[in-house]
Amino acid sequence: MNAAKGLEEQLPGTRSNGATVIATIFKFQSLFGLVAVFILATILDPETFPRPDNLLDVVRASAENGILAVGMTMVILIGGIDLSVGSVLGMASVGISVLLAQSGFGMWPAIICVLGVGLVFGILQGIANARFKIQAFIVTLAGMQVARGIARIWSGGQGVSITYQSQGGPVSDAFAFIGGKTFGGTVPIPAIVFIVIAVLAALFLRFTTFSRHVYAIGGNEKAARLSGVPVLWTKILVFGICGLLAALAGIVHAGQLNNGDPNDGQTYELDAIAAVVIGGASLTGGRGGVLGTVAGALLVGVLRNILALRGVNSDLQLIIIGLVIVLTAGLQLLRPASMRA
Amino acid sequence: MLDTLSGAALALQKSITRSVGELMGNETDGGVPLVAMAGISKSYGGAQACVEVDFAIRAGQVHALLGENGAGKSTLMKVLSGDITDYTGTIHIGGEPRRFARPADAQHAGIAMIHQELDLVPALSVAENVYLGREPRTRLGTADFGAMVDGTAALLERTGIPIDPRRAVEQLRTGEQQLVIIAKALALDARVLIMDEPTSALSSHEVEQLFGVVSELRAAGVGIVYISHRMDEIGRIADVATVLRNGSVVKEFDVGSMTSEQASEAMVGRKVEALFTHESVAREAELLEVGELRLSRKRPVPGRRDPRGISLRVHAGEIVGLAGLLGAGRTELLQTLYGVGAKGRLHGRILLNGKEYRPSGVRNAMASGIAYVPEDRRIEGLSLDHSVTANSVLSTLSTIAWNGFLRGGSERDAAARMVERLGVKTASVRTAVGALSGGNQQKVVLGRNLVTEPKLLLLDEPTRGVDIGAKAEIYTLLTEAAKQGLGVLLASSELAELIGVCDRVVVLRDGVSVREMSTARLGEAELLAVSMGAASLDESRGEDG
Repeated sequence: MNAAKGLEEQLPGTRSNGATVIATIFKFQSLFGLVAVFILATILDPETFPRPDNLLDVVRASAENGILAVGMTMVILIGGIDLSVGSVLGMASVGISVLLAQSGFGMWPAIICVLGVGLVFGILQGIANARFKIQAFIVTLAGMQVARGIARIWSGGQGVSITYQSQGGPVSDAFAFIGGKTFGGTVPIPAIVFIVIAVLAALFLRFTTFSRHVYAIGGNEKAARLSGVPVLWTKILVFGICGLLAALAGIVHAGQLNNGDPNDGQTYELDAIAAVVIGGASLTGGRGGVLGTVAGALLVGVLRNILALRGVNSDLQLIIIGLVIVLTAGLQLLRPASMRA
Repeated sequence: MLDTLSGAALALQKSITRSVGELMGNETDGGVPLVAMAGISKSYGGAQACVEVDFAIRAGQVHALLGENGAGKSTLMKVLSGDITDYTGTIHIGGEPRRFARPADAQHAGIAMIHQELDLVPALSVAENVYLGREPRTRLGTADFGAMVDGTAALLERTGIPIDPRRAVEQLRTGEQQLVIIAKALALDARVLIMDEPTSALSSHEVEQLFGVVSELRAAGVGIVYISHRMDEIGRIADVATVLRNGSVVKEFDVGSMTSEQASEAMVGRKVEALFTHESVAREAELLEVGELRLSRKRPVPGRRDPRGISLRVHAGEIVGLAGLLGAGRTELLQTLYGVGAKGRLHGRILLNGKEYRPSGVRNAMASGIAYVPEDRRIEGLSLDHSVTANSVLSTLSTIAWNGFLRGGSERDAAARMVERLGVKTASVRTAVGALSGGNQQKVVLGRNLVTEPKLLLLDEPTRGVDIGAKAEIYTLLTEAAKQGLGVLLASSELAELIGVCDRVVVLRDGVSVREMSTARLGEAELLAVSMGAASLDESRGEDG
């Protein structure tokens, strides 16, 4: 700004225009990253990649991870972590399959039951963390084992397939819609579920007092408590929502595969955490958002898609995605000092 | 005033051998300053943090560096300690021109910075911390703990620091930890010590101890830069002072020849109205009555001094001070009243507005009209990453929001009103609170509590690390709020603050309220003496209700 001005004129937090631009770029780093990867992919494969059906498939393929990552975002915002979401996804996919195929539940009762199981599982983890002060990492590490165990017991240790009535099986054809497409067979349902959840969560995290409490707890838990924020309930509910979303992802998973396998969803929690981190959230809490996370999840999705289209082998894909995660985390270090904690 | 006490402390120090000089090397003689900085300039973007600053540190001298927050003190010291490298100007160390590329270079040149944050490993012992990174070895190649303990013990004895080198650092009080850091710097042959607000977390007693060590070091020829906001300390410990304002040196003087008013004026660039403006108002209705308050719990928490028998009253419109040494139980009393940090059985009575009040949590306290400004705004007060708005409306969010939905406009309006009312200096209400100066951060915490319109305000060290301008503003705010009928309970280790701002002071010792005194004719020495338990000092006075 004005170089002649001394420090007393320069009110704290005043930024030059250049600094504002840089700050904006960092705030939405994953969006810019997504655009960059998108352009790169279009250049590498102008034939297939930009076609609408391929792009919609990218969103579909990112849906499960994206839904998990939205819940993970909230947990990470309060300074926690949830390692159990992959197992909860597995448990939910088994649950919905068993309820539909073996227990004779209708579609909606089965879905509500499974979502309820996810919610309760999350709430229990939240209580262990918030009330009994066991670290989130430990609680959910244990929860990861427990959910996996429940999934194996519930399924009898093997995959439970969903066969529809039209195929001569017990499951109502209505459930087939989850794996299908809509709008004249163009838009995959999982993509729609993902987008709806993302939009709802983004609005929720922007316009509710609950969300303000979430950010306040992540920013400084002691200060939040002393300011009258109901820290205990907020934390418990956040874990509950994360569990609920993991169960929803599990239902989508089962719907896509027409199968519930108790071993599915392993290491999904790490992909979800990766999406949140690429999205610019701070693992110490208080900073981040759904928009960034969604872009982070899509960025990984686009990357996987273009690498597959170009025939890059899957082992190499892992290495490249790993490097991208480290790179974006490294980018955080370049943030202007004024934006760092 | 404090002559009796500090005299005793000094005598104690002097009885200990004065051979720290050997430790420091022999460059204490001659007219060449240890450090001569000339024409130092440094700017951040468009803002000049330092403009052509000349600054010299001489052996055996305590050089006070004064200035408001943002005056350039920290920048200047970061240049000297090698933290900032892109400056213009020259630095001579013992006559040799030097330009440090990194902090380690400055350390090797004998310049040690004692940070406000304590750079110690809590789980290790004092000796292990002192020798961290350069542990002596035994013949087997393992660390020689015996040698470490012996070496540290010798070092501590020479500098008059009474700490057992085998104790774990985490068991030490803040003041003792600070002394360990100084000892560590000396072990690294520091000839220049930069102390930035060294007493901000110390009790009066620990301040005396620190001053004893500083005197000892001065006698041994160490050059000391002393940064502080407390004028009384400068007057006692410093030899010369340099005042910075807006990055430039505005005044240099011998401490003996200045008054604290002159120094304050130089710092703020205008005449400072009397720091304390409080005048006692006629007592209104009794707001808070605490009688024989005691907190018992199954297992005591180490380091926590729960109330063991505290009685006091606060009237509406009255500011009552809580005095006492560190560990006397001031913070614990405030927390107990606010209903936090105290799981246990409460005995005794608390009457709020004549009605019985049982502390049972933050929300209950807030609903009862109690607000609490905690001791450390960074740890307990603010979410530094978040905006002024988010921080200032946190307690009143439910009244601003509509059925659980935020109303951004109303929030920003509320924040803007708070900023206006408290005179918070910030570019906008969207600015991250961490970007504000300490004083302005403190005003945000204070503002957040005041907008809840409390009847009783509990304050814990409200002006710690706050510059003198903001301090005066905070005092004015408190006085104004008290005039409107707010009752204030203010815990502080700054004696001048207690005497200047409060109507009465209640002294706590070991969790018991031992004395209540009117501040009308109270002196700092007397208050300190009572806090320390030196009951002999003029017992006849001050026992007034």
